[in-house]
Amino acid sequence: MLKSDSITFSYDGYKEFCFPNIQLDQGQNLLILGESGVGKTTFIQLLAGLLKPKSGDIELNGINYSTLTPNFMDQFRGKHIGMVFQKPHFVRNLSVLDNLIFSLYLSKKSQNKERAIKLLDQIGLGNKYKSMPYELSQGEQQRAAIALAVIKNPDLILADEPTSSLDDLNCGKTIQLLKEQASNTNAQLIIITHDNRLKSEFNSSITL
Amino acid sequence: MNIIKLSWQNLKSNPLSTTLSLLLMTLGVGVISLLLLINNQVDQQLQKNIRGIDMVIGAKGSPLQLILSSVYHIDNPTGNIPLKEANKITKTSMVDFTIPLSFGDSYQGFRIVGTTRNYPELYQAELNEGQYWTQSMQVVLGSTVAKVNELKIGDTFFGTHGFQEDGHVHDQYSYEVVGIMSHSNSTIDNLILTNLESVWKVHGHNDDTHSHDHQNCDHDHHNDEHNHDHHNCDHDHHHDHQNCDHDHHHESIEIDYTDNNNISDNAMITSMLVKFRSPVALIQLPRRVNESTNLQAAVPTFEIGRLTKLLGFGVQTINAIAFIIIIVSGLSIFISLFNSLKKRRYELALMRVQGASKWQLVQLVVYEGLALSIMGLIFGLVISRLTLLSISFFIEQKYNLANIQFHLINQELWLVPTALLIGLGASLIPTILTYNINITKTLSNV
Repeated sequence: MLKSDSITFSYDGYKEFCFPNIQLDQGQNLLILGESGVGKTTFIQLLAGLLKPKSGDIELNGINYSTLTPNFMDQFRGKHIGMVFQKPHFVRNLSVLDNLIFSLYLSKKSQNKERAIKLLDQIGLGNKYKSMPYELSQGEQQRAAIALAVIKNPDLILADEPTSSLDDLNCGKTIQLLKEQASNTNAQLIIITHDNRLKSEFNSSITL
Repeated sequence: MNIIKLSWQNLKSNPLSTTLSLLLMTLGVGVISLLLLINNQVDQQLQKNIRGIDMVIGAKGSPLQLILSSVYHIDNPTGNIPLKEANKITKTSMVDFTIPLSFGDSYQGFRIVGTTRNYPELYQAELNEGQYWTQSMQVVLGSTVAKVNELKIGDTFFGTHGFQEDGHVHDQYSYEVVGIMSHSNSTIDNLILTNLESVWKVHGHNDDTHSHDHQNCDHDHHNDEHNHDHHNCDHDHHHDHQNCDHDHHHESIEIDYTDNNNISDNAMITSMLVKFRSPVALIQLPRRVNESTNLQAAVPTFEIGRLTKLLGFGVQTINAIAFIIIIVSGLSIFISLFNSLKKRRYELALMRVQGASKWQLVQLVVYEGLALSIMGLIFGLVISRLTLLSISFFIEQKYNLANIQFHLINQELWLVPTALLIGLGASLIPTILTYNINITKTLSNV
């Protein structure tokens, strides 16, 4: 379960962002909409534990982020949170499959090669797992990036503008895939976007 | 998959700069290691050959030349000295024993040295086959001489005047091989040993030698020898020729050259190796010889010390250049790490998001730097040995560069921490940058 309670954040001490309280149970999805500059990315980085809020609490699975040291936060994020970014990013010098396995290594989970291949099969990259990430098309890259986020069976999937650079067809596919993968692992999915195409895809949404 | 594998993957996917860094490191380490190995070999060889020789007596001239010619047999002799003069030193109470050397001829570039059996004994060299000379014109070959010239026992050859292969051939007197030495890894391996009379004979000083029996034989015998054509001096004729001293040689092994009664006044030798009874003599005797006689005394340890000091300067200069190459290789490692770091900022941020700690990213960078320097170190050490091996393959016969050390020699040990430090130093700044990467900023600046 993810819970955020009256979080505020400030980069410079003057301008302060206030974020809404959210509460999400296992398997629930949430769409967060907002225009540029309202702190969408900041919010998602706070939820990922990459930034520390000025005030307020964030809790995942009953663990309050503020009680974790930076090192434990890294480990905690590695184990429990998967992130998808606007532009897909990979470890450049590793193949798609090795990227997935390396992600498992970093989150200290068992490096299950069969599972990684199976996942790539599921998302339609079964014939590409030996390719280098830069050899894939943009749509394929975004799918591989989702695989990278979900390979470790996270409890929370955070997606930051995952569809903004995709055409309608790929946009639909990507969202479908995210929802599928989230429900497969019973994870909570939060998508932050300014892409109104996604509104119809989600039951619950909030606007920043 | 782990950090080390990723480091390795990163090195592999950047072949050009990886190769450049490796090449520089290998070159620097290789040159230094090669110099150290050669230095070590030369040093060992130099020290080995002066073992047991406290002083060398010869004609006035350069002391270093005297040592180089009489101990290492790589320079021309300074001149001749009367054996009787030299023997006065032998009789000094401070002297344990002396070994006379007389040389000036060679065969195929290998020196023919007239001496006594004490000479091979000094180097603990042993006969491999055959026996020592029992009479003039019989020779015992050093192992390299026998191998290179494919000479066997019973073979004969003519000496050449001087030490060049194209000198005047003494074709009146042929030498007969009676023995071949085992390999002793000393200068003996490259020498052709015979008795003093052989050298005197070839150079027309037959009348210099007067063994007891010789002296009993009258001068007619000598004239006899002179009149005989020595080409015929093969086995069959020996008996006739040396009817008078033949028996003598079989009984007594060698003439006592230190007894002036046994030698004529104008018997000359090239030099004399001297062993002292006690180290105290080192202070007194060389000075006394140099000041009060027409002879020159040189102390091998002093001269070789001077020589290695001179060589050491050149070695140090090349060492310094090679060290600069190593530094440049460190610079090259730094540049390649720094450049790839700039390209990989997002990748590193991604790894942090995936759960990597700061230290894991630091490891990633440091491993790359260390891998380059360690591989360069190993390649350098291996290549220096291979180079030395191939050099020695070509010149072993002449300079005895045998026994290549394949293990690390002591002087090389400092290369290990140096290479590691260079690797660490080169990754220092990239490491700090990696440690301080701001993930959120990096992730926001797509």
